[in-house]
Amino acid sequence: MKLQGKYNRATISAAIFVLILGSISYYFILQYILIKEVDDSLMVEEQEIVDHIKTHNTLPEETNYHDQQIHFYPASKPVSRKFLSTYLKDEVEKEFTNSRQLIFPVAVSGRHYMAVVTKSEEETNDMLMLIAALTAGVILLLFFLLFFVNRMLFKKIWKPFYATLAAMKQFNLSNPGRIVLGKSEIDEFNDLNKTVNEMTSKVAKDYESLKTFADNASHEMQTPLAVINSKLDLIIQDQELAEKNMQHLQGIYDAVNKLTRMNQSLLLIAKIENHQFHDERQLRLDSLLNERLQYFEEMIQSKQLKVSAALNKCEVRMNPVLADILLNNLLANAIRHNIPAGKIEIESSGNYLAISNNSGTELLDEKIIFDRFQKSPGSEGLGIGLAIVKQICDFYGFHVAYAFRKQMHAFKVSF
Amino acid sequence: MKLLIVEDEAELCNSIVTYLKSESYACEVAHNYASALKKIDSFEYDCILLDIGLPDGNGLKILEELKENNKTDGVIIVSAKNSIDDRIKGLRIGADDYLAKPFHLSELSARVAAIIRRKQFTGNNIVLFNEIAINTLSKEAEVNNQVLDLTKKEYQLLLYFVVNKGKVISKNAIAQHLWGDEASGNFDFIYTHIKNLRKKLHEARCGDYIRAVYGMGYKFTE
Repeated sequence: MKLQGKYNRATISAAIFVLILGSISYYFILQYILIKEVDDSLMVEEQEIVDHIKTHNTLPEETNYHDQQIHFYPASKPVSRKFLSTYLKDEVEKEFTNSRQLIFPVAVSGRHYMAVVTKSEEETNDMLMLIAALTAGVILLLFFLLFFVNRMLFKKIWKPFYATLAAMKQFNLSNPGRIVLGKSEIDEFNDLNKTVNEMTSKVAKDYESLKTFADNASHEMQTPLAVINSKLDLIIQDQELAEKNMQHLQGIYDAVNKLTRMNQSLLLIAKIENHQFHDERQLRLDSLLNERLQYFEEMIQSKQLKVSAALNKCEVRMNPVLADILLNNLLANAIRHNIPAGKIEIESSGNYLAISNNSGTELLDEKIIFDRFQKSPGSEGLGIGLAIVKQICDFYGFHVAYAFRKQMHAFKVSF
Repeated sequence: MKLLIVEDEAELCNSIVTYLKSESYACEVAHNYASALKKIDSFEYDCILLDIGLPDGNGLKILEELKENNKTDGVIIVSAKNSIDDRIKGLRIGADDYLAKPFHLSELSARVAAIIRRKQFTGNNIVLFNEIAINTLSKEAEVNNQVLDLTKKEYQLLLYFVVNKGKVISKNAIAQHLWGDEASGNFDFIYTHIKNLRKKLHEARCGDYIRAVYGMGYKFTE
């Protein structure tokens, strides 16, 4: 839910609640006051009647006006004094109206009477309705005004926030340009921007130092690896070596070789991430592919693979080293994971390059196939080749896709 | 032939010296920048192995010093950073070759031999082994004056064997030499490759000098 939506929902429901509650209580309070007013005037009438009886010792004349009626009814004993709200048929206008009555006892020459003074509440009711309508109108107007002012104000006030948000979305760890955040009139947003600035620069710094660490660690590893390799190279010169020890040595060689390649791959990924491949050239990938095929010739032959290549002109602007690595990894993959006497199909054209190969495996999980250290069971690879392919493609904005068709794994790079 | 090995890692230095000495090179060692500088000022070397990541200075400075003094020593840069920038920089200053760590000693030996061949005034570009003669300029191999019909990789392999003659070369080193970093997994293809080379040598009535060593590697020997 959007901030403004949430905010509107809260304010609108609060306003509606206050509006309803306020109107109801306002109505009742007003009614109470108006009834009190009517009661007061009824009491004035009462006083007048009592005064009249006192001075004239007769009942005053009964009246029957539209808004006020006075009647006297003989009573056997003094009635108790009380105010009543009634709903009476107006004899003049022949319609029912709300009325207020005061019933009180009077006595003329020892005879008891019940005096009934009735006042129509119609006018007060009209007034009440009018006031209520007016108030409701004003509140409603206020309400809409508030809504629109809020809306406008909201956009203005939160503008820096959305600017910050947009800047944060743009933030990219592997290419951390500094986030530039404008100054706002609002302290909280300045605070937020300050915090965001501090955080992003800290994150960028941490990332940088982590990268440097990984970089250094990989580099530092090269020398010990070189030592191991050189010692092995010396040991195998020994003519007294037993055959079973040779096998152990081969195991060490292979492990060191794997470690070396892994290290180099990680360094390569770091280098791509660090944008250390500047030199870009217009390259003919189709001719490069032909070169690479020659390069892998012996491996293809020893597995008796059938290669069919439909290479059309495919020109791409990229770093030649990365282009070599891209093609190497794709081809090496197609060879390594192939079955003996399997097929490799290579296709290239103006805007794409596709390499498919047979393999003992079925459809692979497309979601993780380009992840680092994802490899099929029993694979002699490192599981990092495709990760590098993806990295290179991402770097140049190429699209690399995987599909499984007719028992063939197909990788397609679109430029 | 006199070599200078500038390398701060003592054990690596030992290995290199042991291997190259057995190929009858005279080796001198410098473990840091200062002593390397002193040595190149006082002596001439046929080839210098130069680790550029020295604790007390950048090896490239040594290279610059050499070039400023118009020394003709061949230089192979050895670096833990397989960095293209370093490589280009080194070669531009005047290094003859660049080798990234880790490397095989047989590879190093082949590179040293290549540089020394190039540096010799006589322009000696023929590598001889009994009836085999390899011309490193025309990249052709002859047996009893008959040119062999070798593929590019078979030629490289033969040359690699000959310059490392008498040494056991692991399959890993061969794969690394011929296919670089892409070489991986089982090395069956090397077996096929060597079989082809053997066949071609045999057809040219060349002696069989390639010995398999316990499935671990090969040795080119009398």
